[in-house]
Amino acid sequence: MFVLVLLGACAKPITHTEIRFAIAQAPLTLDPRYATDAASERVNRLLYRPLVDFDAHSRAVPALARWQQTDALHYRFTLGKNGRRFHDDEQLTANDVAATYRSLLALKDSPHSAEFANIASVETQDTNTVEFTLRQSDKQFPARLIIGILPAKLIAQNHDFAKQPIGSGAFKLVEWKRTLKLARVADQQQIIMEEVRDPTVRVLKLLRGEVDLLQGDLPPELVAYLKQQKYIHVLESFGSNYSYLGFNLQDPQLKNPLIRQAVALSINRDVIIKHALVGGSRPATAILPPEHWAGNSDLQPIHYDPQRAKVLLQQAGVTLPLKLIYKTSTDAQRVRLATIMQAQMRPSGIDLEIRSLDWGTFFEDIKQGHFQLYGLTWVGIKTPEIYRLAFHSASVPPKGANRGHVQDAELDALIDRADWPAVTARIHAQLPVVPLWYEGQFAAMRSTLSGYKPAADGNWDSLESVINKGDK
Amino acid sequence: MLLKRLFAVFPVVFGVLQLTFLFVHLVPGDPVEVMLGESATSADRTQLRADLGLDQPLPTQFANYLGKLAKGDFGRSIHNHNEISSVLAERIPATAKLALLALAMALLIGLPLGIVAALYHLRWPDRAATLTSLTISAMPHFWLGPLLMLVFALWLGWLPVSGMESGSSIFLPALTLACGLAAILTRMTRASLLETLNEDFVRTARAKGLPERLVVLRHALKPALLPVVTVIGLQLGSLLAGAVITETVFGWEGVGRLLVESIEKRDYPVTQACVLVIALTYVLVNLATDLAYGQLDPRVRRAE
Repeated sequence: MFVLVLLGACAKPITHTEIRFAIAQAPLTLDPRYATDAASERVNRLLYRPLVDFDAHSRAVPALARWQQTDALHYRFTLGKNGRRFHDDEQLTANDVAATYRSLLALKDSPHSAEFANIASVETQDTNTVEFTLRQSDKQFPARLIIGILPAKLIAQNHDFAKQPIGSGAFKLVEWKRTLKLARVADQQQIIMEEVRDPTVRVLKLLRGEVDLLQGDLPPELVAYLKQQKYIHVLESFGSNYSYLGFNLQDPQLKNPLIRQAVALSINRDVIIKHALVGGSRPATAILPPEHWAGNSDLQPIHYDPQRAKVLLQQAGVTLPLKLIYKTSTDAQRVRLATIMQAQMRPSGIDLEIRSLDWGTFFEDIKQGHFQLYGLTWVGIKTPEIYRLAFHSASVPPKGANRGHVQDAELDALIDRADWPAVTARIHAQLPVVPLWYEGQFAAMRSTLSGYKPAADGNWDSLESVINKGDK
Repeated sequence: MLLKRLFAVFPVVFGVLQLTFLFVHLVPGDPVEVMLGESATSADRTQLRADLGLDQPLPTQFANYLGKLAKGDFGRSIHNHNEISSVLAERIPATAKLALLALAMALLIGLPLGIVAALYHLRWPDRAATLTSLTISAMPHFWLGPLLMLVFALWLGWLPVSGMESGSSIFLPALTLACGLAAILTRMTRASLLETLNEDFVRTARAKGLPERLVVLRHALKPALLPVVTVIGLQLGSLLAGAVITETVFGWEGVGRLLVESIEKRDYPVTQACVLVIALTYVLVNLATDLAYGQLDPRVRRAE
């Protein structure tokens, strides 16, 4: 205690010019060819520039390059003028684009290689033009080219981009040891990303001024607490990450649509959104939100109706209570939501048993089909191809993410025709999953920061514009 | 005797290696799936599994692992390809520093409290020390840690909340660990000293007219500390093995946190290396405790 008192006497006020950002999970890799976790993808968006990005409606728009479909199997990309300087001061050319995508095709341990298997060849026309030849026609092809471009010279040298990234993004790496230190190319403003896993500790660090900013991954009561704090500014916005409850359609009971409908009617989303989720959360009807170009605003949210749910279960001929097992991760918020749903389902005659498992075991169970019900969230989804990945009968694991083993020839045909309004309507009617909500996004920051706002998919792009107005 | 005990370490460590290898591979979850995601083709999965040597039968994988281990090669992380020995070289000193400071704090708090409690048996200092130690030992680290952060970092502003960037960052995680250990030491010291104070040799010392201070410090305390040494040894083993929760809560990059992260990512080689380090630490600390016990108690030396 005496030592602590002495230390306290020596304590200095916290002052820093860099912007400190507390993140729940550090990125695993800074090589965009390998990144799959949310943190890596978000940081890589800052370090690298892709050929294509998305607008507010998730339509593919030019980033580094404009494109032209020259015929069914050929796309020509022409590089623009902006963002063409790598952090090592080399010019970004078509050769770098070709090298990046060729390396993706050649890599055997990249999680993204399979997405580009349809590319037959990548050829440069000149320093600004690159042509992609496809094996099969793909109207969504430009929307797939969101991998950050790497320097060809360094690819050839097997440069370790995972730890020493060289991109042409708005930020460059300064250092990655215990924290990830980035510098904004435009004004050298430093951003320090520090992994702080515990949500309470993140909040305490923000309150003490050890960090200036945090985004997402907090339970609603901590967000509400932060809103009451004098020097903390909380911004909330709509989110687009889709939470759902998945069914195993191989289960003898759950393959009956009446039972799935009963489960859907047994969940009071409005109450959960109001009391157990952060502001900006809203009920979901499909994976892609209504504002997405392939969203379907005609779909009606499913309303809580335990009486009707009970009637449906009786019509289905089940003996009440219907016992179901719900699997989720050990994340405290996920377990809490599961507990609320468990209570909500009881009046309908559903006895929900919750099994919370460590992430690896949980996800393995889901992929292996060892479940009746599970809860998950699709994060950062931009293209309607997600419907093929999640519901097409050819996408049953390990070939995709049709974890519920949906086998619906009509749905397959609609997906193959890319008739997205019909696809979403069919899924809404058949309920292979129960749509729950799009969880809201928020950012909490010291009042010395300005210019930051949370993005719908939780990305950190706003760091490009954030300003530190002064020390605390 | 020492050699005999040192040789006994090998079968224990070999048993731990076998069990760890088996359990790590039996736990659901596949590193290849974690790395490649759900869009990967079967061919890519097969190729990567072969590249990582995971397509081999388990006994072959274990033999390969032992062969590398014999050369001091822990292998590389499946996820970031870092050399595990380099990672451990960074993590072990961090955990050791934290554990030793926690032990020092626990001794500074626990021993005096235990002695006071025994000397004022059933009076208010005893009751206060017992109540305090029981209360603290009932607090889990994941709760006590944030509580200490709230008091020392936020309200008093004396120490950083978490991290490893400043020299003072170590005090709160060390105090969190020390509190639980101090509570155990208080109770052990109290119980052991109370027993010793009723022994014949203590009565003799008092009968000789020695002042009570000398009776306690010179005659009673040393034998009373024998069971305490055992507890210290066992607790130090678990502290050095990595205070998993405390390191995670405080962002302390030690062996415990590395172990948790490797299990989450199904990074088999890292998990195995961490468990091996932990097992070795336990065995060696217990050996050191046994040897210290012999030095403290001549009866133990004679029996050996």
